[in-house]
Amino acid sequence: MRKLDALNLLAVVGASALMIFGPVPGSSQEKQKGGKGKGGPPGGEQYGPYYSAPATPGNPVGRTPDGQPDMQGFWTPRFNQAIFEVQDHPAAQRGIPPGKGAIVDPADGRIPYKPEAAAKAKELVTKNIYLEPEAHCYVSGVPHAAYQQFGYQIVQPAGYVLFLTEYAHTYRAVPLDGRPHISPGIQLFRGDSVGKWDGGTLVIDTTNQNGKTWFDMAGNFTTPAIHVVERFTPVDSNNINYEALVEDATIYTQPWKIAGQLGRHPDRNMELMEFACVEGNQDLIHYTEAEGGKAKEKSR
Amino acid sequence: MNMRYRVAVVFSVILAIGAVPLAAQSYKAPRTAEGHPDLQGIWQVMNTAAVSLEDHIALLDMPAGRSVIVDPPDGKIPYLPAAAQKQKENFKNRAKADLLNQCYIPGVPRVMYLPFPMQIVQTPKYVLIASEFGHALRTIYMDGSKHPGDVDFWIGDSRGHWEGETLVVDVANLNPETWFDRSGNFHSDALHIVERITRTEPDLLTYEATLEDAKVFTRPWTIRMFLYRHREPNFKLLEYECNAYLEDAAKESR
Repeated sequence: MRKLDALNLLAVVGASALMIFGPVPGSSQEKQKGGKGKGGPPGGEQYGPYYSAPATPGNPVGRTPDGQPDMQGFWTPRFNQAIFEVQDHPAAQRGIPPGKGAIVDPADGRIPYKPEAAAKAKELVTKNIYLEPEAHCYVSGVPHAAYQQFGYQIVQPAGYVLFLTEYAHTYRAVPLDGRPHISPGIQLFRGDSVGKWDGGTLVIDTTNQNGKTWFDMAGNFTTPAIHVVERFTPVDSNNINYEALVEDATIYTQPWKIAGQLGRHPDRNMELMEFACVEGNQDLIHYTEAEGGKAKEKSR
Repeated sequence: MNMRYRVAVVFSVILAIGAVPLAAQSYKAPRTAEGHPDLQGIWQVMNTAAVSLEDHIALLDMPAGRSVIVDPPDGKIPYLPAAAQKQKENFKNRAKADLLNQCYIPGVPRVMYLPFPMQIVQTPKYVLIASEFGHALRTIYMDGSKHPGDVDFWIGDSRGHWEGETLVVDVANLNPETWFDRSGNFHSDALHIVERITRTEPDLLTYEATLEDAKVFTRPWTIRMFLYRHREPNFKLLEYECNAYLEDAAKESR
């Protein structure tokens, strides 16, 4: 009975995603999804995995007990369609709907790839979409984690900012004590993040990523050379301005910048659900073993 | 032995016996801004409970270790007869049947004694426990709220409160498919856990969990162990993205 309930909820979430966006490769539609009667998760029955809270004015930004500007609570990303593709993408491809991305610099809204890197990204989305990291339940890298499907919860205990994601039920812990990055000898899916408050802006510097994550579902890949500086500026109690500077001289001709906003989720009784990804992952069944999936033969 | 010496010996024995619990109780943890005991930091066990909660001999890649079960006093899990049989089968089939080998979320209490560090942070509403294993996350709600209805989670649902120096956590809504350890010790969907976490010294947490499950055990039973603070400068959680390594290993073996 319990499993049935979870599956019913799944069907609802999946159906709502389908209605809005059509089938999306590597998305969550068939993954196991918990759910409670109380409130609703960022991806609950009512809101769907790609829900964005509308911009509504809030109260002045408060302070945590240790004096940080208070950003605690549940947030949903407003980054246009960056969750599907981070750059402007006027034509639909591989089930990814056309739309705007979140790149504000360069002005054309496109990633300033070097030619060989552009070719690699193109090949990934046209021929190797089974490599999409979220289809494999990998945790998202940075800055993808900032516009993650289902949104996330921010928690600010003394000396830290934590981002708790419903997707794959993970966390990102950012220390604020001025420590240096870990040695470049260690690479991580999430990278190594260190943060500091610069007035009313949280600045997070991230290095040590492993190059196994993408910016989106559209083949925009990363390398271990990526360096990201994110800036979270709470505007009021309901809105946070976000921007991230992305540098990687190995694949880009220049640094580039994405920008978006986070909107506080309207459901004040929210509790983070458990999106148990590996445990119910059906995505890889659609791909053959040679493609990194589980199917014996190609069914598509 | 003269009388005075004998009295002195008896007296010092009493002192020595009394001193242990006395010392444990006299430590008062520093407080958070809200006035609760501060359990924050990065902690890890130094035991082999992840191999087996009971006494166990060594096997390949599984070190020997002593039982962490303090009640019942024989240190054994009080299985019902059919469940004892099931545990034996689990042990035999452990390579395939232990879902941790497929990188599933470990469940409670297993996540607490895996050989990975975990970070505890506290806010007025929550105590969070973040494990390095698979980025597993426990949210312990401290707002007096109740467990949700008929739904289960791999990591369960945790609601806590403070009893003096001790964080008491009630854990329910647990997925029945997780195990307690690599030896096939298991439970059903009826598992209910009460954890007691106390900072008994500056760099030591005493972790205790009482487990009841009338479908599998004849009586409630209790485990107890220490969690040690990582004191290395700038220590932080890295990551163990189990499912990614599993895929890599499968590719290498093809």
